[in-house]
Amino acid sequence: MSDERLRADESVSKLLKMANALIKDPEKESRADRSREPLKIAVLGTHSIQHYVRVLRLYLDRAGIYTDIYEGEYDGINMDVLDDDSELYKFKPDAVILMMRYSDLHMEKAEDVDAEMAYLKNLWSHLDKIQGVTVLQTNFASPVMRPFGGLEALYADSMQSLIRRLNMRLTEEHPSNVHVVDMEYLSSVYGKNEWFDEASYFLTKQGFSLNCMGMVANEMTNIINAVFRHTNKCLVLDLDNTLWGGVVGDDGPLGIEIDPHNAVGEAYRHFQKYVLALKKRGVILAVNSKNDEEVAKEPFIKNSDMILKLDDIACFCANWNDKASNMQYIAKSLNIGIDTLVFFDDNPAEREIVKKFCPEVTVIDVPTDAENYVKALDEAAAFEWASITKEDRERSDSYIQNAKREEMKSSFVNYDEYLKALEMKGKCGLVGDAELERFAQLTNKSNQFNLRTQRYSEGQIADMCKDEDTRCIYVSLTDKFSAYGVISCIVLRRGDKVEGFGDKDCFIDNWCMSCRVLKRGVEDFAFNAVKEEARRMGCTRIIGEYIPTKKNGMVESFYAKMGFSALEDNARVLYEYKLDDKVEEKKTWIQKQS
Amino acid sequence: MDTKAKLNEVFRDVFDDETIEITDEMTADDIDAWDSLTHVQLVVAVEEAFKCKFSTVEVMKLKNVGEFIKLIDRKTGNA
Repeated sequence: MSDERLRADESVSKLLKMANALIKDPEKESRADRSREPLKIAVLGTHSIQHYVRVLRLYLDRAGIYTDIYEGEYDGINMDVLDDDSELYKFKPDAVILMMRYSDLHMEKAEDVDAEMAYLKNLWSHLDKIQGVTVLQTNFASPVMRPFGGLEALYADSMQSLIRRLNMRLTEEHPSNVHVVDMEYLSSVYGKNEWFDEASYFLTKQGFSLNCMGMVANEMTNIINAVFRHTNKCLVLDLDNTLWGGVVGDDGPLGIEIDPHNAVGEAYRHFQKYVLALKKRGVILAVNSKNDEEVAKEPFIKNSDMILKLDDIACFCANWNDKASNMQYIAKSLNIGIDTLVFFDDNPAEREIVKKFCPEVTVIDVPTDAENYVKALDEAAAFEWASITKEDRERSDSYIQNAKREEMKSSFVNYDEYLKALEMKGKCGLVGDAELERFAQLTNKSNQFNLRTQRYSEGQIADMCKDEDTRCIYVSLTDKFSAYGVISCIVLRRGDKVEGFGDKDCFIDNWCMSCRVLKRGVEDFAFNAVKEEARRMGCTRIIGEYIPTKKNGMVESFYAKMGFSALEDNARVLYEYKLDDKVEEKKTWIQKQS
Repeated sequence: MDTKAKLNEVFRDVFDDETIEITDEMTADDIDAWDSLTHVQLVVAVEEAFKCKFSTVEVMKLKNVGEFIKLIDRKTGNA
């Protein structure tokens, strides 16, 4: 994201001033990449949203996102969403933001929650008409008032209980393209007494205090950035005075501060617990420390107070090189982009070096005191993702198993022997409900092994799965060490739907693969499935295209290696593969499972 | 700086016009950019600059800039 990102707590008059300047003179004031297609966002609300829309546009702009925003009429949600001919549908947004507040609800008893849910679900299913749309639905900040007083929490039909129940149902029942924006959390953190500004609601129908606009816009910007643009993958940590107090080289593995009976030690343990929670949701952990490797590893092995263990770290980089070079090394050895790394180091000088030489890395402003580390990392929202899939929860372990695999590799005489010993089992098939979310995630996240870098939203993929001229093929893999889940996504399209080709051609619209499974024969395994599917479509030729980007150089000659021959074309890099009668399967070490 | 001078700065800032000189009789009709939208912005900016909070009735009763100054003085204890 751009370096000029705004904080969540900027003063409202400053924000409005900047927002107005942006509207007046976008050429001069904008920090977004205006050469790209703008992201189309519709904002609809039951209350006044004019000021909020301006502020949101500003936050998105400072995050580098160029937008075209449609602002609904006052209290215009029903008008826009339920009417098929409304301006909203003409606008064709990529994202629709639905902003509501507790005063819109009509709930007196538990069953009324059902009616509110039914209303919201009806809105979402109407919005489904917009292909591939993402909906940002606010949940409900419960008000300060308590008609039942201290008894609110004792009765299911109290105002607070009903709102809690509705919020929980949003969490449990939202479809995958609906992202719930947690206004209840934001209002609690801000303080509900300040969040609700009744005077400005009665006077000008502001849904929440104007002072909170920055906080809400910041949250929505993070979500939109994660859904449509960029996500970070790996947290890179320093050790001394970051993961523990003191210097392991001087104090020894048992002398560092990580003791639960000591307040300072507790603060570092608090941070380690948070880091472990990040790892469990799929964030990869790495270490970047100026230390002798053996000395640096000692606390993880010898000090039982450590919450993080050596096995939690996917890439352990302790040496005397400069930290910027180490960042490059970490990205390379984990096979992820350097722009997906987040750096956390208590030493401001090290942070500066990384900022200067690796500007793509997200560098956290680490506070002086360890007790504030969790808050600083949490507020930076560096790991805002569109979703957390089953694969994510298992991922960071699979990076660690990778290291073990590497170890095993060195004990084999040749690579084939090694691949055989991995006992790989693969599965491929057409995408169904179970694979949809992950298929969308991988398709939109992978940059390196990606032939055409086509991005499709979950909604679009669901539509393609229903289309008889399109095939969405997934490949999943397990081996002796771990289950990877879906690691390759391929989209095939009948040729007559693509310019220049016919109905006997099968065009590979997209082919991407997770770099975690490079050099394992997954490509060959997948290609067998592609050929089979193309035959089933009645095609006699497969067409592949390579669209170069800054990041996908590794697959430049992929089709040539797979046995395709180049097609003459001035503008595009195209290849063909003729399907004849003889069925030649590519040999792989992946055992096919049904 | 007295309330009027400070308020004048807020006006210049909100309406992005360095030539504004507020007077007691001035109303929304006297400044082109003063509409319902910028009015909300003006009230927030004044609340921020003078560190006070206006009630529904107080904002509704405002007839001109002079009354605004009196209100601010009352809220901040200058009157």
